[in-house]
Amino acid sequence: MAEKAIMYDATKCTACRGCQVACKQWNELEGETTTNWGSYENPKDLSTQTWLKMEFREVGNNGDLRWLFTRRSCMHCTDAACVKVCPTGALFYHPLGFVSYDKGKCSGCGYCKEFCPYNVPRLNTNRGSGLGRMDKCTACTSFGLDRIDNGYTPACVKTCPTGALIYGDRSDLLAKGQARVQQIIAQGYKNAYLYGDKEVGGTHVLYVLEDSPSVYGVVENPKVPGAAIAWQDVIKPLGYVAVGLVGIGLLLNVMVARARMINGKGEK
Amino acid sequence: MTNHWNDIQNSDYILVIAGNPAENHPAAYGHITAAVDKGAKLIVVDPRFTRSAAKAHIYCPIRSGTDVAFIGGIVKYIISDIEANPGNYNMTYITEYTNASYLVNPNYKGAPDLDGLFSGYNAEKRSYDRSAATSSWTYQLDENGVPKRDKTLQDPNCVFQILKEHYARYTPEMVNTVSGAPKEKFLEVAKTFAESGAAGKSGTLMYAMGATQHTNGSQIIRTYAIMQLLLANIGVAGGGIQAMRGESNVQGSTDMALLSHLLPGYLLVPQHNDETLQKYIDRATPKSSDPLSLNWWKNTDKYMVSLLKAWWGDAATKDNDFGFHYSPKVHAGTNYTHIALFEAMEKGDIKGLMCWGQNPAVGSPNANQTRNALANLDWLVCVDLWETETSIFWKRPGADPTGINTEVFLLPAVGSFEKEGSVTNSGRWMQWRYKCADSPGDAKADLDIMNELMAKIRDLYLKDGAAPNRDAIVNLTWYYGTHADPRQVAKEVNGYYLTGDKQGKQVISFASLMNDGSTASGNWLYCGSYVEPADEPTAPIPGNRASRRNLDDSPYNIQLYSKWAWCWPVNRRIIYNRASVDLNGEPFDKEHPVIWWKNAAWTGDVPDGGGKPMAEGGHLPFIMRSTGLAQLFGGVVGPRETSLADGPLPEHYEPWESPLAANPMSGTMNDPVIKIWRPLEQSLPDKYPIAATTYRVVEHWQAGQMTRNLPWLVEAMPNMFVELSEELAAEKGIANADEVIIENKRGSIKAVALVTKRFKPFQMNGKTVHQIGMTWHWGYAGLSTGDSANILTPSVGDPNTTIPEYKAFLCNIRKA
Amino acid sequence: MQEIERYRKRAIAQHWWIVVCSILLAITGMFLFLSWFGPAAWWGYSRLVHRIAAVGFVAIPVLYALMNPKGTWAWIKEAFSWGKDDLGWLQSAPTYYFGSDAVPMPPQDRSNTGQKLWMLVVIITGIIFVISGALMWFFKGIVGPGVFQWAVFAHDVAFITAGAMLLVHVILGSVHPRFSEALRSMITGKVTAHYAQSHHGKWYDRIKGGKKA
Repeated sequence: MAEKAIMYDATKCTACRGCQVACKQWNELEGETTTNWGSYENPKDLSTQTWLKMEFREVGNNGDLRWLFTRRSCMHCTDAACVKVCPTGALFYHPLGFVSYDKGKCSGCGYCKEFCPYNVPRLNTNRGSGLGRMDKCTACTSFGLDRIDNGYTPACVKTCPTGALIYGDRSDLLAKGQARVQQIIAQGYKNAYLYGDKEVGGTHVLYVLEDSPSVYGVVENPKVPGAAIAWQDVIKPLGYVAVGLVGIGLLLNVMVARARMINGKGEK
Repeated sequence: MTNHWNDIQNSDYILVIAGNPAENHPAAYGHITAAVDKGAKLIVVDPRFTRSAAKAHIYCPIRSGTDVAFIGGIVKYIISDIEANPGNYNMTYITEYTNASYLVNPNYKGAPDLDGLFSGYNAEKRSYDRSAATSSWTYQLDENGVPKRDKTLQDPNCVFQILKEHYARYTPEMVNTVSGAPKEKFLEVAKTFAESGAAGKSGTLMYAMGATQHTNGSQIIRTYAIMQLLLANIGVAGGGIQAMRGESNVQGSTDMALLSHLLPGYLLVPQHNDETLQKYIDRATPKSSDPLSLNWWKNTDKYMVSLLKAWWGDAATKDNDFGFHYSPKVHAGTNYTHIALFEAMEKGDIKGLMCWGQNPAVGSPNANQTRNALANLDWLVCVDLWETETSIFWKRPGADPTGINTEVFLLPAVGSFEKEGSVTNSGRWMQWRYKCADSPGDAKADLDIMNELMAKIRDLYLKDGAAPNRDAIVNLTWYYGTHADPRQVAKEVNGYYLTGDKQGKQVISFASLMNDGSTASGNWLYCGSYVEPADEPTAPIPGNRASRRNLDDSPYNIQLYSKWAWCWPVNRRIIYNRASVDLNGEPFDKEHPVIWWKNAAWTGDVPDGGGKPMAEGGHLPFIMRSTGLAQLFGGVVGPRETSLADGPLPEHYEPWESPLAANPMSGTMNDPVIKIWRPLEQSLPDKYPIAATTYRVVEHWQAGQMTRNLPWLVEAMPNMFVELSEELAAEKGIANADEVIIENKRGSIKAVALVTKRFKPFQMNGKTVHQIGMTWHWGYAGLSTGDSANILTPSVGDPNTTIPEYKAFLCNIRKA
Repeated sequence: MQEIERYRKRAIAQHWWIVVCSILLAITGMFLFLSWFGPAAWWGYSRLVHRIAAVGFVAIPVLYALMNPKGTWAWIKEAFSWGKDDLGWLQSAPTYYFGSDAVPMPPQDRSNTGQKLWMLVVIITGIIFVISGALMWFFKGIVGPGVFQWAVFAHDVAFITAGAMLLVHVILGSVHPRFSEALRSMITGKVTAHYAQSHHGKWYDRIKGGKKA
């Protein structure tokens, strides 16, 4: 199966937030109680009830003022730190490349949130009991609310009126995105950039940006955290080996010792 | 819209002024994105750096209410450029299709001569002489009664020269002094958009309420028209003037007589001194002596009689003037528009009010006055999906319900997806939609509520032989049974034959309508929308052309989609399309031909009026004007064409509440003919120096009843807020997200301060003016409540339409 | 046969309490290690159990230390008292543990070198468990994600270390023929004099001497 992706073209986005609301509607998420904090932006942060939000940035001033809009949601990494650290196997790679999860398997440990280079997953953890469940964008592959498997595009893409969000084969979108970036560069935006081509092994949400990712508040050079690699790829295998060796050693030891000592050589 | 939404994609230049489509027309904005994708240049002019500005190639700020000065400056630029580089403009269009060549009455004097006034001003009556017999705003006529022309455009009395003289004062410096637009930005806008004047290039102008809601709103639109005509942009693909309608069916409701001075199809409303139908027709029908002018409104009698027949059927006979006297008549000279109605309510002249999907307690200017006026009603009926501020005005914060005697009824209406019917969009497309869900509880469709109400009223009139104007009610053609079928109503709107072998059959075009009572049509403009099934067999609802969903775009693939839904008039997608071709019928823009004379026939869109190209003796292109030409100069011509109330050419006047001490253009501060209801409530700049405007946000809709009850939208935009510049905030000690108080003579409101770089103080030739802007969606009902911006807006309006001046007023702001 | 008191009731109780807590902690922490252990997460209730057990794991030793500061201090001191005999013990341990008496073991005090090693592991990993655990529990979102990430890492390193050593501890203490009385002593608190003498020579001499005095 060809990998799929969503491409977000920030230069075409008007931040109408149809995607933000459509996401809530399709995924049956609640409206949160918010207050205006001196911004068009709300809710202030992602949450278990907000999987996708639009960010607004005023960049420059006077003659060169720009009002930049950014999508904030799961990037669906190829090398997803969340999948790497998820202890219960709740998070997994969807065959189309998206990072999906089985909520029933989630233990609420929150490692996904803490290890995500984009700080995307959210938990509704009870501070006392520690009980909770993780939530994030699944690119509409959630069990029971699966649009993709039923031949539809993700809800955010479906609702986008300006063509800022499109859905398709990742390879096609990469080609389109590169062409679009070249077009924008030709218009004088020399830092225009296609984000997600290479980042964290390639993301399944691509951004067309007219400027460097950092100007948009998008993480530049995201990495799977070193601790995740040290833990999952080094310590964990070492641990298996160490515990295994100790176990085998002990078994041998006890067997030999018993054999010897029952033969009367040793003390009683 | 002269054109339609999809047509934006054909534009080379898009000028968005007085509107914010990315915010308020988010779905339609996709057409602008597509145009920009194809290489169109997008220019946004607005007091504030908006969502649309964020996508523009050029953004230029202007102070609210200075559009005439700004566009007038572009007109000056274009006229100078036409004289210097005529090859860059479509001179055929200007000389042949506009009245640039008309010779104006030598007695005419304009604003340059009269310090901002026009000849014929009566200071006492605050009005101009617009009588065809005595006004100086007329044209010189030849012996046949046809206006004289000088196609060289050199005669000092010709419209072109008058236009040139009028706008000579609108220099880039003056534009800056008045509007605060930086000179270089202004010139960049002018130069860029003027490029659309070349033959084969197109530029569209998109506007919304930022233009109309001013004391000179109509003249602002006229300025747009003058500019677009000089650039030969009217009637061509990718050109035109696009009024972006703020509600899905506002175009439809306007077509169906939403306005107090009009009947369906823009027929004038009868008035008290129309003693006979003939007198009405004489007053409402423009006349032309020019054999080349089609003067389409000459058919007024056919449309009016057919309308009367649709309403009163057999009871409308030649002998009783086709029931003309059943029709209510307005009193000539009395204003029946929004502000006037609520003033009358406050005085107790109006006893009852039906508020149908409307929420004046939030949406009216001077909202406190409106709320008080509601208390003087005997009864109030609100029809809505939710409880609105209007329906609970009697228990609003601060009100004493024991002192209010208005009896209030709230009827639950159904949502748009819970009923069938048609919606006419900004591009005049009548699109049929179907019911997709049942409505909850006792909620009913508007049509059913109306039907039940009418049945009851008719019963009462039948019982009461002495009821006033009884025949008008009991004879009404109203046979819908217990449930009114929208398809049946749509068929009546289209019209049908009453006699002959086609009796009972649907008419196919307004060309079939007659003045002898043999046809009926609820709205002549909609003739052809719902025909006999045999005439439109492949539509999903046979005969109902609004239900068509065919994506065929032949022959020229310019996004006309002529078989998708239906468009008035007669499915003409781009009106004034005769102006898109030269005298031989060849398109100016052969890449985007709207119509094309080929093999002795027109191809493409439905041409205005039919006939042959002008070179072969065909008629003039602007068939809805009696002169057949587009009006650069809006002179007095005759019946129905009596110019605007405030002059034949747009002149800059300050908003009623202006931050300036004087009008930099002239000694005439405000539009001299506006009606002022409450002169004492004028906020003056000494106490209220800050200019303010109001607008909407994408998350909320109008007075908020539809959106402030939806948690997802309330979450996204939770509070009433005001936007102000960092500079003003620093001056006032206001921090971002502070609660602030905004006040003026009419009241004070609280809001969250949104301190932003997107508002900048205007530097107007050395003078600094601050402007703030606020949303007007909030009120005291619903899930999200907040103060209404309209508490601050004035009860003053445009002299032609009385649309309130929501977009420019004065106030002060301080930390709460 | 003469028996000698090796553990007081309080110490035994504490030991088994910690055993229970540790087992609970290990099981409920195990699924973090072995994803096929995932279902044991019981919808996250395992994490609740883990936290309750963690409270027990920390609270009882602290309580014990408060009630018996001298003994606790002595125990900690003991874990850190290393001498020449310990070196010798380590050299001889392999042969000894494989049941051969070919190499003489240096006499040991109350805790032998191996036991002291275990005590060190308990103390050090215990501290790591507590600090990294507290970081993850109480300071999530307060400390930076990097701190949290390395806390998770440290918790796991501690678990591997402690887990491996626990295996050794359990096997030696229960089924290894060398320590036939270890388990019993942790239940009754007593060992035979013979066992004490042969396994903890120094200690035996000390307490015998002490008794005589």
